[in-house]
Amino acid sequence: MVYTPQDYKSELKPIWCPGCGDYGVVQAIYRALARVGRPPHEIAFVSGIGCSSRIPGYTTAYGFNSVHGRALPIAQGIKIARPELLVLVAGGDGDGFSIGGGHVAHAIRRNVDLTYIVMDNQVYGLTKGQLSPTSPRGLRTVSSPDGSLEDPVNPLLYVLGYGGRFVAQGTPADLAGLTQLIEEGIRYPGFAFINVQSPCVTYGSPDAQLKAHKSAMKSLASLRHDVNDRLRAMELAGEYGRSLYTGVFYCDPDPPASYEALVAERRRAMTDPDASRARVLETFALH
Amino acid sequence: MTTDLVIGMAGAGGDGVIAAGEALMTAAARSGYRAMMTKSYGPQIRGGECSFRLRIGTGEIPNAGTMLDIAVALNWDDFLRFGAELPVDGRTTVVHDPAQDARLDPLPLEGVSPSEAVAVPITEMARASAGTEKAKNTIVLGLLAGWLGLPADRLLGGLRKRFARKSPDVLAGNERAFAAGLEFARTHPLGADRRLSAAAPPPSPRWLADGNEMCAAAALVAGCEFFAGYPITPSSEIMHFLGREIWKHGGTVLQAEDEIAGIGAVIGASFAGRKAMTATSGPGMSLKSEMLGLATIAEVPLVCVNVQRGGPSTGIPTKSEQSDLFQAAFSAHGDAVRPVLAPVSVADTFRITIDAFNIAEQFQTPVILLSDADIAQRKEVVDPIDAGAFSIVDRRRPNERELEHYARFQITESGVSPISHPGMEGGNFLASGIEHTECGAPTASGEVHAQMNEKRIRKFAPLKARRDLFSIEGDRDAPIGLISWGSVAGVVSEATALARREGIQLKLLVPRLLYPVSEEIYEDFFASVRAGLVVEQSHQGQLFRIIRMFVDVPRGVESLARSGSTPITVHDVLDRVRQMVVTFQRRRVPQEEPSLG
Repeated sequence: MVYTPQDYKSELKPIWCPGCGDYGVVQAIYRALARVGRPPHEIAFVSGIGCSSRIPGYTTAYGFNSVHGRALPIAQGIKIARPELLVLVAGGDGDGFSIGGGHVAHAIRRNVDLTYIVMDNQVYGLTKGQLSPTSPRGLRTVSSPDGSLEDPVNPLLYVLGYGGRFVAQGTPADLAGLTQLIEEGIRYPGFAFINVQSPCVTYGSPDAQLKAHKSAMKSLASLRHDVNDRLRAMELAGEYGRSLYTGVFYCDPDPPASYEALVAERRRAMTDPDASRARVLETFALH
Repeated sequence: MTTDLVIGMAGAGGDGVIAAGEALMTAAARSGYRAMMTKSYGPQIRGGECSFRLRIGTGEIPNAGTMLDIAVALNWDDFLRFGAELPVDGRTTVVHDPAQDARLDPLPLEGVSPSEAVAVPITEMARASAGTEKAKNTIVLGLLAGWLGLPADRLLGGLRKRFARKSPDVLAGNERAFAAGLEFARTHPLGADRRLSAAAPPPSPRWLADGNEMCAAAALVAGCEFFAGYPITPSSEIMHFLGREIWKHGGTVLQAEDEIAGIGAVIGASFAGRKAMTATSGPGMSLKSEMLGLATIAEVPLVCVNVQRGGPSTGIPTKSEQSDLFQAAFSAHGDAVRPVLAPVSVADTFRITIDAFNIAEQFQTPVILLSDADIAQRKEVVDPIDAGAFSIVDRRRPNERELEHYARFQITESGVSPISHPGMEGGNFLASGIEHTECGAPTASGEVHAQMNEKRIRKFAPLKARRDLFSIEGDRDAPIGLISWGSVAGVVSEATALARREGIQLKLLVPRLLYPVSEEIYEDFFASVRAGLVVEQSHQGQLFRIIRMFVDVPRGVESLARSGSTPITVHDVLDRVRQMVVTFQRRRVPQEEPSLG
């Protein structure tokens, strides 16, 4: 069966503000899913809390709009329990790099085959405009009226630093490019991370809107960046906040087996066809 | 001869104290005795002092007993560190090794003279017979076999198994040590007769298990396919057991990066259609609270075990307490009701764990299984359990017709709606922590929120009516009613039996379902009650207070509650019950009318 982007679009109307970057992200997800071609019921789409975390509900997949910062553990449980599913994870920069930041490192090192899409807008939109972990130093917000005193997290370096094997960045200003990245992330056999610069039209800075992206974005392909060069990828990722690179920063050409593949292997090796659950209790017999 | 005996022993790490206790317990179990063993360790990570107390009897062993009948001190410094675990009184026989401390007159026991003190040159005998001090524990086994009349061949058989992998010299040395202990006992009979009456041979060989292992094994029998958790005392052995066993049955164990991720992965696995469990202790429960709320509103079945320890915060991690009941019942924000179950013993842990899974699946809810360090860590002789006799419940899946216009959170008569999982065609829905309509669409409608809260709470009505989750001992119409739960219930059960033997009319109610409160079952119980006690190991008396929130408790019913680490004893309960009877009798005497001149 051939799927169209429309097959992945649900009837729910997004609550996002007109002009929000997330509209473009969800469009790119519909398109990427159609290209991958898995039926919606074989997809689990997990998110945390935030404007962007509403996204699973706008698809026809099995969705899970969970609690703030905890999408990754839930998604890993789903994928390990049912590895045949395609599992997508999405959320904002606060969800992924502030309240849930501790889980990112472990999802990476465990290498469960998930595609993690972060809609990074450098501000908390749902709670009405406070600092986020990726807000630039000095940013004035309702929670930092005199300017932020902290450096931002660099999500790209964060993931590369923990050994991320597929790291990309896109913007809805380049919908075709973003679609391509999401598709590649889904097809990548292991944990894939895509940071999407998705502007907040209401609380975001005026020079970080889609229009500005169009002129600022620089494709990594045009720089002839070698996606297998991890050190160069880290150098380029270090430009986060200054340059808007789009495309794949790093893609490990030789990915190891995913966590759930290792689990399946162990299960195959250890499953005892004669082991009956009722006989587990025999372990308590006196030896 | 005696039918019931409590032995305590303490020594330094490496003295083989725990191995001796386990050898005694195994031999006792093989000989048809019932037994219960608790272990205590010093706070050191490795190599500190350790001790066991072992109660052996011909009948049921409801608790680990109070005062020691026989106390074995391999050295006094270590023994005295376990004052609360190894109490000595005037009826105790104290066995000690003079080599460890020459200045032993009087014994270093403050305020008590034991019935007798037997100095046994244990170290010297070990060196002479086995050529090594390491055989001290085997000397003690020989001594106890002789004084208690435990079958020497069973203990020897155990030694042979234990040392099977060591060199033949080690085994031969231990056999000589055992014989030396036995010979010492023969030539030095105790003043008090400590011989155990013979036990009736059991219909089939009994088992040995502790609560954590039993919980993990029951989870497998219940169909658990996924476990994720984070190490924490005193619950980690549940993860250890499943880490060894679950793979054989096609399941998975994940050691998560933290407590939150542990329950998160469990919610994910259950959402994906697998039966799943996590286990922790109080601090971990605090971290899991938000996720438990998510499981309640998204109606995700799961079992969350809390092996309680002394709290709050780090508290006393190695000691048992029953102080997490408020947390279990009330730590959720919003109107979240979730079942809280508590087993009373190792054997009971099997049934209650199966029930926890069945309830989680039937009602699509997180279930909190409140075990405690006492049950989790103690070993009991248990009767063989026929796992096949327990029915296993699976969540209600939507049928083809229901999938045509599937509404995951459909408001049904029972409040339970058929649940699909990813991979099931036509069952697609959005699970969410945000309030949702029957179809799963996010909503801020107050009307829908009220209906959904009502649905999610109404579905527990059949659970509250389950009388099989309550046991009653004693006289049905007794005026004195006791209530207790968890590991302390075994203490109260023995006190109940003793009081009834004294002619006191009383009854004991032991709930396994602690929350939601089954008003009707308590009201029926209280119908005849004029006085009573709710007995529990917490400072506030948490069950007592929760029952009073929902039930009109008779005025004479009081709380008998104490913080953990100083266990409530049979005598504590018995004394209070006797006082109640006296109070009844005082009331019977008519007051003299004041004369008005």
